Amino acid sequence: MELRLKQERLFDEDIYTVHPEDYRALCEKLKADGFDFPRAVSGIDTGYGLRVTLHLTRLHDRAKVTVRTDVRYENPVVASVTDLWPGVEWYEREAYDMLGVRFSGHPDLRRILLEDEWELHPLLKRYDTGGYPIPGWEPKAWPDPDPWTPPPPPEPEAGEAGEGGEAS
Amino acid sequence: MSQIPIPEDRHFRPRLFGYDPQKSRPWLERAVYSAYVFVFWLLVITTYAGVPALFGALGWDSGWGFVFMRALQVVLLFLLSAVLALLLILVLRKYLGKVQERFGPMHYGPAGGIQTIFDALKLLAKEDFVPAAADVLTFRLAPAVTFVASFAMFAVIPFASGWVLADTNVGLVYLIAVSTLSTYGVLLGGVSSGNKWALIGALRAGAQMVSYEIPLALVFLTVAVWSGTLSLSGIVDAQLGLWNFLPLALPFVLYVIASLAELKHIPFDFPEAESELIAGYNVEYSGMSFAFFFLAEFVELFLLPALIVVFFFGGWHGPLFGLEPGSLAAGALESLYFTLKTAVWVWIFLWIRATLPRYRDDQLMEFAWKAMIPLALFGLVLAAYMRLIWR
Amino acid sequence: MSTMNLEPVPGRTDEMIVNMGPQHPATHGVLRVVLGLEGERITRAVPHIGYLHRNHEKIEEARTYPMVIPYTDRMDYVSGTQNELPFVLAIEDMLGVEVPDRARKIRTMFFELFRLASHLVWMGTAMLDLGAISPFLYTFWDREIILGIVEKTAGARMLPNYYTFGGVRRDVHPDFFKEVADLLDHLERRMVDYEHLVLESPVVHARTIGVGVLSKERAIARGVSGPVLRASGVAYDVRKAFPYDAYPDVEFEIPTSPDGDTYARFWVRFQEMYQSIRILRQLLELTPKTGPFKGKAPARIKPPAGERYRAVENSRGELGVFVISDGTDKPYRVKHRGAAFSNLQIIPDLFIGAKFSDAIAILSSLDPVFGEIDR
Repeated sequence: MELRLKQERLFDEDIYTVHPEDYRALCEKLKADGFDFPRAVSGIDTGYGLRVTLHLTRLHDRAKVTVRTDVRYENPVVASVTDLWPGVEWYEREAYDMLGVRFSGHPDLRRILLEDEWELHPLLKRYDTGGYPIPGWEPKAWPDPDPWTPPPPPEPEAGEAGEGGEAS
Repeated sequence: MSQIPIPEDRHFRPRLFGYDPQKSRPWLERAVYSAYVFVFWLLVITTYAGVPALFGALGWDSGWGFVFMRALQVVLLFLLSAVLALLLILVLRKYLGKVQERFGPMHYGPAGGIQTIFDALKLLAKEDFVPAAADVLTFRLAPAVTFVASFAMFAVIPFASGWVLADTNVGLVYLIAVSTLSTYGVLLGGVSSGNKWALIGALRAGAQMVSYEIPLALVFLTVAVWSGTLSLSGIVDAQLGLWNFLPLALPFVLYVIASLAELKHIPFDFPEAESELIAGYNVEYSGMSFAFFFLAEFVELFLLPALIVVFFFGGWHGPLFGLEPGSLAAGALESLYFTLKTAVWVWIFLWIRATLPRYRDDQLMEFAWKAMIPLALFGLVLAAYMRLIWR
Repeated sequence: MSTMNLEPVPGRTDEMIVNMGPQHPATHGVLRVVLGLEGERITRAVPHIGYLHRNHEKIEEARTYPMVIPYTDRMDYVSGTQNELPFVLAIEDMLGVEVPDRARKIRTMFFELFRLASHLVWMGTAMLDLGAISPFLYTFWDREIILGIVEKTAGARMLPNYYTFGGVRRDVHPDFFKEVADLLDHLERRMVDYEHLVLESPVVHARTIGVGVLSKERAIARGVSGPVLRASGVAYDVRKAFPYDAYPDVEFEIPTSPDGDTYARFWVRFQEMYQSIRILRQLLELTPKTGPFKGKAPARIKPPAGERYRAVENSRGELGVFVISDGTDKPYRVKHRGAAFSNLQIIPDLFIGAKFSDAIAILSSLDPVFGEIDR
């Protein structure tokens, strides 16, 4: 199946922006490509939705890759990759704790830093540092085209989507 | 350790009327320790020579008079053990300070000399707290059991020739019986606290006792076989020519290790391992209940080295400089020898405490059952054989 | 943090559920582990963190870029300036600021000084957990000298706020190089004593060898880094893998051990201290005594919109930061990747099946610092 993703290169790492439904498939592909060391999972409130960013390294040749996927506020569900890299377990819990991203298939998705009874997800941009809702905060419109849409190829033979995995 | 440069200007040094408490004064410290040892020695002389002499002069040395005399001696021994605990706690803290490149208590009294008296007063003033989950009667009883069991060992310790409360001919059997009792206090205290850490500590104490008591008893037996008597005075007298630590080298080493375990002392302080069980069996105790556990610990820290001296280092023996044996002066000198020999062993125990980390509890068990008991049995057979040949 | 407790297994009466922490003396702060104990053996272990949570990441979103640096200091509070570096490097990448050679070397010297300080604290506390009181005092005296040197230059001891975009905030104190040289001489003498007290102690051998073995595959998959990963036989060190600052200019080795047990983690940290001393000796020679200590950074830091992940090898492993800029003078999002946070995840793996006393030894060999884990 063709993965819906966009590939960029920033400094020394490859960055894939992928459709949330294909996030898991891309991660499985990267795992098969030998990206064995999970660095971190970051949750980000982009203003129009939530973004999950997964940083990976391949230890033997030090290739770095970042996978990111955007979900809408209404349905923030991303597939968990804990079974591929057990080291992201706590990072996914943290992203859930701080932003409310739900990782489907996570073995133990509880809050990690805040109490179980906590009501807010504090890193959401709709709250200020005191945890109070910012008056007049409105989510931005979902970007058009979607974040994972590859840029229109200037030449026909440029960057085939889904070709990623190897560090160049 | 190599001397490290202490940056002089970095420390706030409070001065009171020109007296700098943070200045190290070795001579003053020694004077303080000597004062404590002197008080201790005076108490020993009073207990073992003064009181009998007084009662003898009054003609009260038989019947009920004798009972009163013994009671007075026990009261004096209690005072003595309090002085002992105050001294040993101070020495422990000062010595750990020395080893750790710091000063230890400095502020109360000359060179911190009465710090422990204030500590004891603080414990007296504290609330004696009983947790809601505790079994009150057992919880209250446990420190007393521990202390009484340790304190009862004084009865058979000979400080000089004839200076012993009960020169019984079953001294060793009595010691085995009484020293095991103090573990009951620990067990009861830990189990009745209603605290899981205390429970684990108590269970560890029980398991530990099972490991060290058997080699300890075997060493007692070896000493008895070698000396041909069960009386502690008899054992000391039997060492007149040759101190036991030379012919009984193996039992001696085993005895030191087993005493460390009995003392619940590093490297075998599992029941109260503060980095694992917080404080183990005494975690819920406060105030005077805690103080009694503490007192028992430090009384044992004197008594077990004292037993090493009795069994292996000739007890009170030492040059008498022509004094007539049995006189008051000779007794005083002998008890001083005994005290000083014991002090050396206390120092060795403190040295171990300042240096070593802690073993794991099952490692002591393994060591005790797989190494110490066979070795102790071997030492016993060897001692019996040597006695058969040479004596 | 969680109020969750372990539920007793129905029909099982030999398991006791014990709450270790957050006020337990061996948890290096505020870790809470709920343990199922069967006698002394651990059957279940669930770690709970968050008792020191301050939400740095939210606070940092409301601060300008230079104001973020002191906040990063408060993460791994025993290794001071090491926390500032990933953030500073990331912003320098985004701004394209050039760092003078001397400034890079001074930064690296402070970085390694704090590695020594942090490993000294580890050594003391690890031995304290194993029951030895004296090494704790010895190592804290030596750390005191390091903090004194840092204080003379940076003005603060533990949380110096010394690095800045394009270099360091102020030039080193005139005594700095001599004091560092004296310190290294002193530490080399002391390391002999420490080896006697720690690595060669038979009691330490009995407590650590073969205890808490972490396999190489498990270590990588769990995202473990730093000395814990290298003790499992993986020669991954950010200083070599993605060199930063003056590390390309100096020679050093990555000590690894194939054993993966608690003793190997102790041993690797010791060898790292020797390597730190070696790096500092080289930098004492290489660093010019005078010269620029700061590059030309804009007066008002406004990185262009974009994102950057940078990592450094701090005392505990890979300390990363993921910065997203939206072109204003405040970061849009700062995400910290804590080395100790990742390393702590292996607690259930290592604890279950171990003895309770072993758990204390294992925890001390992971060297967690809760300022960084709870952030």
